[in-house]
Amino acid sequence: MTDSKAPTLEEAVALLDKAREQAATMLETIFAAAQPGAVYGQPVGADGYTVITAAEVTSGGGFGMGMGLGPPSRPDGRAAPPAEAPQPETRHTGGAGGLGGGGGAMGRPVAIITIGPDGVKVKPVVDVTKVALAGLTAWASMLGLLRARRRARNR
Amino acid sequence: MAKDRCRDPHREGRVRCRIEIAWAPEVSAAPVTVGDVTVTPRARALVVRLPQGGFVWNRPTALTVQQAGATRRVPVVDVTRLLQLGLLALAAALAAARSPYAERR
Repeated sequence: MTDSKAPTLEEAVALLDKAREQAATMLETIFAAAQPGAVYGQPVGADGYTVITAAEVTSGGGFGMGMGLGPPSRPDGRAAPPAEAPQPETRHTGGAGGLGGGGGAMGRPVAIITIGPDGVKVKPVVDVTKVALAGLTAWASMLGLLRARRRARNR
Repeated sequence: MAKDRCRDPHREGRVRCRIEIAWAPEVSAAPVTVGDVTVTPRARALVVRLPQGGFVWNRPTALTVQQAGATRRVPVVDVTRLLQLGLLALAAALAAARSPYAERR
């Protein structure tokens, strides 16, 4: 006897198509970070000055999916050998599918724009931690290179 | 079946199965007017579209300031990025200067 709850190939493909459409909608949300409104903040006014923040925005994501079906079942309920061609109304003995995805976004302040009585000014925001890490990495790389060269000379 | 896998559900009849990397043209955000000054922030994005994913890098580029009939462009400089690249370039230059190839010359 065949299991009436087992999905046909068409049902499984339709299900995956639906999931793919949802994933594409999610991706469009990620691509919304390409709008200029994502980079500049809302203007804030105080004491005669208007301040706008400017930030670098990075976002990304992806998804993947897969599906597999077991061999088609025979009318007697047993699984047919894999080489046998599936019939149009054949139910499959089993199968599995999966969908996974991930994404993320990051923002880093770049500058602060002030509009006031003394004109428009752009004040840069320096991320000291990032610069210090870059400096340490460069210094450590140089140190490692020098040590390697000294060792090579002594040999 | 292969075409089905590449189908873009948001573009009927279109197939996207390739990687698209593009610098989007510089675009303007909503202008801000304070008194007689109008500031229009501008930004530029790098958009990478993959068959099943994507990446966006958006950054501010400049401001267009309109005041008393004159228009000027004020660049927005990413000092953190400049310092990082400067340190990287310094390290690369020192490594090149101390390389055995440079000493032989």
